[in-house]
Amino acid sequence: MTNIVGKPLPRIDAFGKVTGETLYGGDLSMPGMLHMKILFAHRPHARVVSIDTSRAEALMGVFGVYTSKDVPVNEYGLQWNDQPVLCGPGSRYGEDHAYSTAEEKGRDIVRFVGDQVAVVVAETEALAAQARDLIEVTYEDLPLVTDPEAAMQPGATLVHPEIGPTNICVHDKIRKGDVEAGFAQAEVIVEGEYRVPVQEHAYLQPEAGLAHIDDEGRVVVLAAGQWTHTDQKQIAHALDLHIDQVRVVYPAIGGAFGGREDMSVQIVLALAALKLKRPVKIVWSRQESMFGHGKRHPMVIQARWGATKGGKLVAAENTFIADAGAYMYTTNKVLGNSTITQTGPYFIPNVKADVYGVYTNNLPGAAFRGFGAPQAAFMAESQMNKLAEALGLDPVEFRMRNLISEDLTLDVGTPPPGPVSIGQVITAAAKTAKERYSVEAFTPTTVHGQPSTVRSWGFAAGFKNIGFSFGYKENCWSRVEIHGDGEIEDVVVYSASAEVGQGNHTVLAQMAAEVTGVTLDRVHMVTMDTLNMGNAGSASASRLTFMSGNAVKGASERAFEKWQAEERPAIAEYTYLAPETTPMDKETGYSMPNFAYAYAAQAVEVEVDTETGQVRLVRVISADDVGKAINPAQVEGQIEGGVVQAQGYAIQENFITRDGYVLTDMLSTYLIPTIWDIPESVDSVVVEVPDERGPWGAKGVGELPYLPLAPAIAHAIRNATGVWISEIPFTPERVLKALGRI
Amino acid sequence: MNLWQQYVCPASVAEAVQALTSAPGPALPIAGGTDLMLDLSQGRHPPVHTIVDLTSIPEMTVLEIRGDELYIGAARPLTRIARDPLAVRHAQALVEACDLIAGPQVRNVATLGGNVAHALPAADGTISLTALGAEVEIAGPAGTRRIPLPDLFLGPGKSALKHGEELLVGFYLPLTTYHSASAFKRIMRPQGVALPILNCACRLERDGGVMAEIRIAVGPGGPTPLRATEAEAALRGKPFNAATLSEALDALLQQARFRTSAMRATADYRYHLVGGLLKDTLEAAWERAG
Ligand SMILES: Cc1cc2nc3c(=O)[nH]c(=O)nc-3n(C[C@H](O)[C@H](O)[C@H](O)COP(=O)(O)OP(=O)(O)OC[C@H]3O[C@@H](n4cnc5c(N)ncnc54)[C@H](O)[C@@H]3O)c2cc1C
Repeated sequence: MTNIVGKPLPRIDAFGKVTGETLYGGDLSMPGMLHMKILFAHRPHARVVSIDTSRAEALMGVFGVYTSKDVPVNEYGLQWNDQPVLCGPGSRYGEDHAYSTAEEKGRDIVRFVGDQVAVVVAETEALAAQARDLIEVTYEDLPLVTDPEAAMQPGATLVHPEIGPTNICVHDKIRKGDVEAGFAQAEVIVEGEYRVPVQEHAYLQPEAGLAHIDDEGRVVVLAAGQWTHTDQKQIAHALDLHIDQVRVVYPAIGGAFGGREDMSVQIVLALAALKLKRPVKIVWSRQESMFGHGKRHPMVIQARWGATKGGKLVAAENTFIADAGAYMYTTNKVLGNSTITQTGPYFIPNVKADVYGVYTNNLPGAAFRGFGAPQAAFMAESQMNKLAEALGLDPVEFRMRNLISEDLTLDVGTPPPGPVSIGQVITAAAKTAKERYSVEAFTPTTVHGQPSTVRSWGFAAGFKNIGFSFGYKENCWSRVEIHGDGEIEDVVVYSASAEVGQGNHTVLAQMAAEVTGVTLDRVHMVTMDTLNMGNAGSASASRLTFMSGNAVKGASERAFEKWQAEERPAIAEYTYLAPETTPMDKETGYSMPNFAYAYAAQAVEVEVDTETGQVRLVRVISADDVGKAINPAQVEGQIEGGVVQAQGYAIQENFITRDGYVLTDMLSTYLIPTIWDIPESVDSVVVEVPDERGPWGAKGVGELPYLPLAPAIAHAIRNATGVWISEIPFTPERVLKALGRI
Repeated sequence: MNLWQQYVCPASVAEAVQALTSAPGPALPIAGGTDLMLDLSQGRHPPVHTIVDLTSIPEMTVLEIRGDELYIGAARPLTRIARDPLAVRHAQALVEACDLIAGPQVRNVATLGGNVAHALPAADGTISLTALGAEVEIAGPAGTRRIPLPDLFLGPGKSALKHGEELLVGFYLPLTTYHSASAFKRIMRPQGVALPILNCACRLERDGGVMAEIRIAVGPGGPTPLRATEAEAALRGKPFNAATLSEALDALLQQARFRTSAMRATADYRYHLVGGLLKDTLEAAWERAG
């Protein structure tokens, strides 16, 4: 029995956030603070020939104008250093190592509209903006590369000639069994082409931050991110500083969803603070945020799957072409996840897959809730529903016949570690649909008084790795101090792990309270700082409950032992090391890439207006195995939030670019779901199949509820109207076109 | 950088005109500010010197019967139109439009005058007023004048108002008579942030099974708010049935010029939708007038 773990307790950060006491990046200020504005390229592919900053510098109240030549090491990147901090001529690589020529390294090229060319620091934000507009840049436009399929062809214009002779920046392969032989056994084959779009993270808080120099001469950067220690590393690299000369602290984070994994304002803020020795602040407008950071990868996916008449999957062959955009960001990781999840939580003995990431002059493809798995799931689950239909089998039954299990191999040739609960979540979702909403079959129903509308249910499942592994040694640090004399007065938990709004700090506090036997109000969290704190890893891949949870649990237990041995204060540090994983083999994909997976299934009801083509999500039943719900209310919050974000992806959000330019760069043109759009109900069915390696059996939930939604909606549209739509989003016009009405 | 130098709150129409014309720099009226504040802060509007706030002028915020007409002040917030019993009785189409524009917060401050002043071909308030046969009162240095609403619109975003001199004071609508009614409908997600893909309003008088009188407006069906005169002619004086409805639609398709807007909808989609929308709107008003 647990006392605090497993309880739907109010979030520890709720009061401050609701009352406005909590400070986000945009709320920060310091005496003597100056303001920054960034000059973005606003052109998708061009060489910066020259930059004239003289008129900007001459403006009264302007303190500094910085360009490429001011950045000590003009490059950065979370995976590869392929992006200039400021694009332009005269770039350097450290004090003594000027690039042989700037051209050679391509630091003078802008590769997407959101590339940064100069920054201005002035007395006020308005002055900085005015000065920014006085900077004169001479560009020489370069040929545009915006279609990834064309960009893969030999002879295509290269986005990064300095890196290599091709725009293909990632190519993952799966070669499992013998697909030829597999298809020879297949009695039913289903082929499809799927297109999935860009999605904007649209977090509430746009990019913002403040940098200053502290009493010890360190540059301190306060800007929301997802992983303090990699921000610190990238800032130090670009500014040619020792890592200890940079301190990264996160103020409150207004949402992240993967979009804050890569840098935005951090390096230029630190650069300006170092140059001017004064605090410098920046806040991006919504528009800047829309074109200035990466987006979910759009992809084109070809799939061909075969099964026997008995309903057994025998072969699959898939090709993914993903638009990586201008820079690597986390494309290799995102596509790694597409690769390992591309046949869904099912066993297929023979699989061949090629997954490509391609550089273009579009916005960079970035991490976004699900990390490449939602794109793969849209294809995989649609293929499953089409096969079930072709075989005349119930889609739930067909899935149950092909489930992956502890004894069967994934596409990477090894079985999934940990308890495999895909059968439980599928059964839970189907049973709930039947018992609560009498869903017996996936047949259309009409709505009284609305002659042009039809409704039906759809079904899909999904699975996703917890943690980013692939051979990387996942680790997470924490320190716990227990203060008091006779009784415990105060438990202080140190962890750098990021509270991006998901509730991580509440969960960690609950864990520390559980171990030490105190009430939640006795626990104090000291968090999100690189100073005197070890690495926590990133708030991504649904990993923090598992990783930082194990770290805090380990540190709490060790501190509590000392407390019981009468140590005062009782202090313990602990670094949790996740089980070993291995990278994918280059030719076959063979590996043990992850230490844990989580599973989900959804049944959804959808209404289609066959006159207007509008699709409305009516109801969602989401069954998610979280191992153990440390805080059930937060799990429900993640499910409801994930469903609504995936609904935007599937139905409403339509990110339109033309020739590398963003047309929908405001929330009045890029329409995300509002209170008027959300489903009438989301039934969260929390399944708990404990993973003994997780804290109290917990796994993770952040990305899970996102995965099945789009394919489940596609299935429901099919069941309601008779047409499959294999391109997201399901806009009214796309629906009517599929129906042959326009 | 201030967005303006001077902000004034006149108490009468005459004072407002005076404030506009005597300002030492560019001057503009403001009502709810839901468009203007965005335009100014996002730099889409050249800087102004003086802003003249219309919302405390009684003549511009009342809604009342004047003789045989309904008068609605141009600076009255949309919510206060939609909730007004007189409007509900005499201007159903307008009430329906006011209830659909944007979301509750915007509707609580946005005004009909602001909606009309923009001269957009698909503004919901404009389309419903056009079908209702509204006249608009304009005040300027030379006094006031009253013109039929369609005469106000010269092109997309262009009105006959003299910039920095004239104001929309209010709108006059005919009262509902026995067997007359109006309706407004639009195609748009209920999302609350943007102009509709397509909208339609009508006002009709019914004589048993015959459409005695009819006025229809559709947006965006051309550079200015479209009065569907051809469709009206196809229906006027005829029985209202599937055949006349189909003739009305043909006539409308002949007259309307639907266009593709890159971020919102294609022309094809609008041509497809307009038939159903016209039918639904006419039927709603027809039922009410019965
Ligand atoms: C989020 C959002 C959603 C919206 N959704 C819709 C929608 O669904 N349908 C729709 O039709 N519209 C929509 N709009 C537009 C909305 O209708 C207008 O913003 C509103 O009606 C303008 O009124 P206002 O009083 O706020 O105008 P203001 O912003 O105060 O003024 C707008 C312009 O009109 C001028 N003006 C104002 N009053 C007068 C007057 N009496 N005489 C002369 N000039 C005047 C001003 O000088 C200014 O140029 C939306 C706007 C927003 C912000």
